[in-house]
Amino acid sequence: MTTLAQPSQPLQSRASRNRELWRRLRKTWPGYLFISPAGLLITVFSYVAIIFSLYISFHQYDIISEARPFEGLENYARALNDKLVRISFRNTFVYVAVIVPSITVISLLLAVLGNQVRRGRALFRTVFFIPTITPIVVTSMLWVWLYEPTGGINRLLQMINIEGPNWLFDPSTALPAIMIMTIWGAVGYYMIIFLAGLAEIPEVFYEAAKVDGAGRWHTFWKITIPLLRNSLIFAFVTLTIAAFQVFTQAFIMTQGGPMNSTQTVQMVVYHYAFQRFQMGYASAISWLLFGVIFFFSALQLKLFMSRELY
Amino acid sequence: MARTLSSPGNGVKERDKKLLLAATRRSFTIIVYALLIALAFSMIFPYLWMLANSFKSRTDFFTNPYSVIPMPPTLSTYYDALTIGRMGVYLGNSILYAAAVLVVQLFIDSLAAYSFARVEFPGRETLFLAVLATLMLPGSVTLIPTFLIAHGLGLTNTFTGVVLPGFAGAFGIFLLRQFFLNIPRELEDAARIDGSGFFGTYWRIMLPLAKPAMVTLGVFIFLNEWSSFVWPLIILSDWKKYPVTVGIALFRDVNQINWPAVFAGSTIVSFPIIILFIIAQEYIIGGISLSGLKG
Repeated sequence: MTTLAQPSQPLQSRASRNRELWRRLRKTWPGYLFISPAGLLITVFSYVAIIFSLYISFHQYDIISEARPFEGLENYARALNDKLVRISFRNTFVYVAVIVPSITVISLLLAVLGNQVRRGRALFRTVFFIPTITPIVVTSMLWVWLYEPTGGINRLLQMINIEGPNWLFDPSTALPAIMIMTIWGAVGYYMIIFLAGLAEIPEVFYEAAKVDGAGRWHTFWKITIPLLRNSLIFAFVTLTIAAFQVFTQAFIMTQGGPMNSTQTVQMVVYHYAFQRFQMGYASAISWLLFGVIFFFSALQLKLFMSRELY
Repeated sequence: MARTLSSPGNGVKERDKKLLLAATRRSFTIIVYALLIALAFSMIFPYLWMLANSFKSRTDFFTNPYSVIPMPPTLSTYYDALTIGRMGVYLGNSILYAAAVLVVQLFIDSLAAYSFARVEFPGRETLFLAVLATLMLPGSVTLIPTFLIAHGLGLTNTFTGVVLPGFAGAFGIFLLRQFFLNIPRELEDAARIDGSGFFGTYWRIMLPLAKPAMVTLGVFIFLNEWSSFVWPLIILSDWKKYPVTVGIALFRDVNQINWPAVFAGSTIVSFPIIILFIIAQEYIIGGISLSGLKG
């Protein structure tokens, strides 16, 4: 991905090397100039930001008072004993554990099914993708209405004789309701990724399987899945990273309630940072989340990469 | 399925076998279509209701919230959304933010991408890796310090504060660099011989050639900025500067009773980008496929 075609340097005499160096120096300054606007912004809003975040996580820091005493690991210790933080981590883990496999499996299924049909393929692709590009604020609001006690979802359930719950006001169904809505909104995106992956699989493999008399099921497991490996890894890892940071859905649909059943880590970070102005403490919580994300991404990559290569 | 069919007993004739195979294949296709249509319906029915309800009077909405045809259709909901809901103001702001980020980020990203792809300078690989590495940073960690930096620069509650962090993007630099690397060097050399400088070559030769990648990236930037919620929510405190996402959330909070107007507002927020998507979908899908395979 990052390997660049480097011209090989032939052996040269000292004088010509000096001349070469001069020439290169004259040629190099536009390089630095051209990357400097992007470089400056990325330095400030990524590198300075992350160091700053780490710094304030060791301090008592708000934007109002001038006194910002060093506290060492105090914020981290407080976070580990904070009931709200614990609940939010538990909810977030449940959320990630459910939606990451669900979205991967459903979108893979959609891609494989969509690949089977000739007519209307583009139309299906467009329709499945629409929820992905709609601002999540809007889809969340739509689903608030669908989840009302006599709303669209419960009406559909009524048709098959199921009495629907009061989705967003019952602590046992609020988080699942958010998960269902998120899965609905995300499968179209990953379907596109898998469709691209499927298009890369040479037709020869399928023809060979047909000649060998392999059935669809067998072909799916022995050819499609192994050859989709890269797309699967990409989907799984990026989904996990995004899912751990879930915020907007919970913020719009439930504000963390009822009874904290939809508090996510990012909701708690927002709460402490921007409602109670405890920036240092909130940063410490965000670093705990970063640690968890880093651990799981590394673990997933290690697991996937150690598998036999096809 | 196919395997059991291709190894039947001796008595079955070849013709029957073929017919049976065709029948299974056809029923399989029918099942696939049925499934896809059902799923496609589940994807769009919330939008159908949103659209239908946005044209309903309040009485019609409360008596028939699930009818798909408003009786009689009204535009007063849109009037409410634009006046009480101030959606007009938010819409103007969103267009401004998205346009500013679009133009500036395309310029800054493409300039950096051209440099990383074609200008040789010491430390180029390291710097490019440093740019790529920021893609791994969770937004969760950078949110608070970005706010504090913007606050320190006096940018809270300003237009600049909303757009500035979006002026450069590691993903855009990566995408455009890939594209520039694939443009034949000869085109550039010809321009160089004709006396174009670095910037001239970039501006007159490379940018026009990179148009497909620029459009793809441009659509991504626009969609992202249009949907952006958390950052403007944090950095802004004055409703006059809110983009549509924050605006519609506020409108719903203060106006829980007037659902049809909220639906009208939601339609105003989502339809521009759904239309943009339908027009530009080849570019978007191409871009996602690329990021998925290369990432």
